[in-house]
Amino acid sequence: MLNLAVNGVIEGLLIGLAALALNLVFAVGRFPNAATGDFMTIGAYAGYGAQHIGGGILAQSAAAIAAGVATALLAHLTVFRRLSRSPMIAAMLASIGIAFFGRGVLTLFTGQDPKFFPLHGMAVLVLGPVRLQVTDAWLAATALLCVAAVLGVLHLTPIGRQMRAVADNPVLAQASGIRSRRVMLALWAMVGAITGIAGLIVAMRTTVNPELGWDLLVPAFAAAVLGGVGSPGGAVPAGIALGVLQELSTPWLGFSYKTAVSFVILAVILLLRPHGLFGVKEAVR
Amino acid sequence: MLSYLVALLIIAGIYALLTISLDLQYGFTGLVNFGQVGFFAVGAYGSALVSLSGAPIALGFVVAILAAAVSALPIGLLALRLREEYLAIITLGYSEAVRLVIVNETWLTNGSQGLTGVPRPFMQLGEGRADLAYLALVLACNLAMVLLIRRLVGSPFGRLIQAVRDNETAAIALGKHPPAAKVKTLTIGAGIAGLAGALYGHYIGFVSPDQFLPLVTFYIWMAMILGGIGSLRGSLAGAAILVLILEGTRFIRDFLPGVADVQMASVRLALVGLLLIGFVLHRPQGLFGSMARR
Repeated sequence: MLNLAVNGVIEGLLIGLAALALNLVFAVGRFPNAATGDFMTIGAYAGYGAQHIGGGILAQSAAAIAAGVATALLAHLTVFRRLSRSPMIAAMLASIGIAFFGRGVLTLFTGQDPKFFPLHGMAVLVLGPVRLQVTDAWLAATALLCVAAVLGVLHLTPIGRQMRAVADNPVLAQASGIRSRRVMLALWAMVGAITGIAGLIVAMRTTVNPELGWDLLVPAFAAAVLGGVGSPGGAVPAGIALGVLQELSTPWLGFSYKTAVSFVILAVILLLRPHGLFGVKEAVR
Repeated sequence: MLSYLVALLIIAGIYALLTISLDLQYGFTGLVNFGQVGFFAVGAYGSALVSLSGAPIALGFVVAILAAAVSALPIGLLALRLREEYLAIITLGYSEAVRLVIVNETWLTNGSQGLTGVPRPFMQLGEGRADLAYLALVLACNLAMVLLIRRLVGSPFGRLIQAVRDNETAAIALGKHPPAAKVKTLTIGAGIAGLAGALYGHYIGFVSPDQFLPLVTFYIWMAMILGGIGSLRGSLAGAAILVLILEGTRFIRDFLPGVADVQMASVRLALVGLLLIGFVLHRPQGLFGSMARR
């Protein structure tokens, strides 16, 4: 039971990372980015590619981040930037188009078969009643570091302050001299980095497969809504809560219903609190 | 050649039903349904299960329509309170949940193996005629549903849903009750998708979870956007063009030696993605639509 919970925390961290990426786009770009999952997939494959040609863990991470950033920036520059004045549904449909296009092009070269990272040893950390794989502990630490870095950028740097200003009130932000172009570029680069590294971690814990990111999309949406749409700080705790709940449900519902659990939780939250648990009511609805 | 044409027309007719159903929901009411394939799947499995248990096929069709419509009710009740992007997420999650249930509840659905031997009506007429009779059934369903939606849209109810789409606050201010209208269109649309599912299952003779991927939902969105949102005629044309595109990619393969089936699936996925992006960017009004309405 406790082990399931610990596993849930780690899985939840990853859901939280994806939800963080969703929320950043939602706060500043104001649409739910359905391509988030496929950015992760691309990051995972890039990391696998680096491993394949003999790169170490640093090279793999660098490749995943670079691929994530490149994909996200490309999506922003070619598509999303031109839809900033369109209805939200336009941007959302376009993000699905990007997801499909990205996955289509990717699988054209990689095929559909899952690939595996070689296991980094099976050392187990025993902490009282909890057994934790050392690899998992490292991956979780990386994910946490990633979250800390994002929150640090958001709250401690000038560009982060500008991002939050644009999220609060884009017109006012522009009026006070914030160059929204630069802010958007920084935002998408950050989103790409988060999704790239999250994809790599997911792939290392499971397999590298084309549906890796898309399958995390519903849990990530659930976590984003649970944490309050558009609030980056809430995404990670919400992701962890969801991860634990999903994992604890497996003895009763079986492994394969995990995603359905997060769907049901999402539906219930939206029924009770249409603005998310910690979400504040926006002025315009 | 003729039988190939008939087969194409049947598939196009099934997509046409799915497209006009989505058009009723999104084009006329503004409900963003990203889970159309879920209702389609419920209809296909509902009818397949009923007819495989020995009941008449007609009963299967009725069950398909009802099951899909009923499964939309909880979504509709949720949708009352949600903005469009949340409804989009919920419906997308719904269709994924439906697929998970199909994959996992093996006792009922035979899991990822799927159900085979779904009976086909009109077989007593002989091979070629049975196809023609089936095509006639598909066309009759399309005609009936187009007339139904026309009537709905032209009625006071239709003016209400269009008012809800254009300005919900104004509709409320005029003393209307948008939530009830939304639930109604969502359920009617889901019923039509269920009918399409039944037609599909009995035609192909085989249902499996792989046929109901989220990709199908966006095929239908593409068909609707192709034809122009809020135009039934456009939806029918869009569905026909969609089938031509899907079939076309099959022909391209014949000219590209050394391209495997799996790779062709990738090409199709990328193509659908590209078309979605292209239309949203360059012709949001669709091929035939005018910008006047939205």
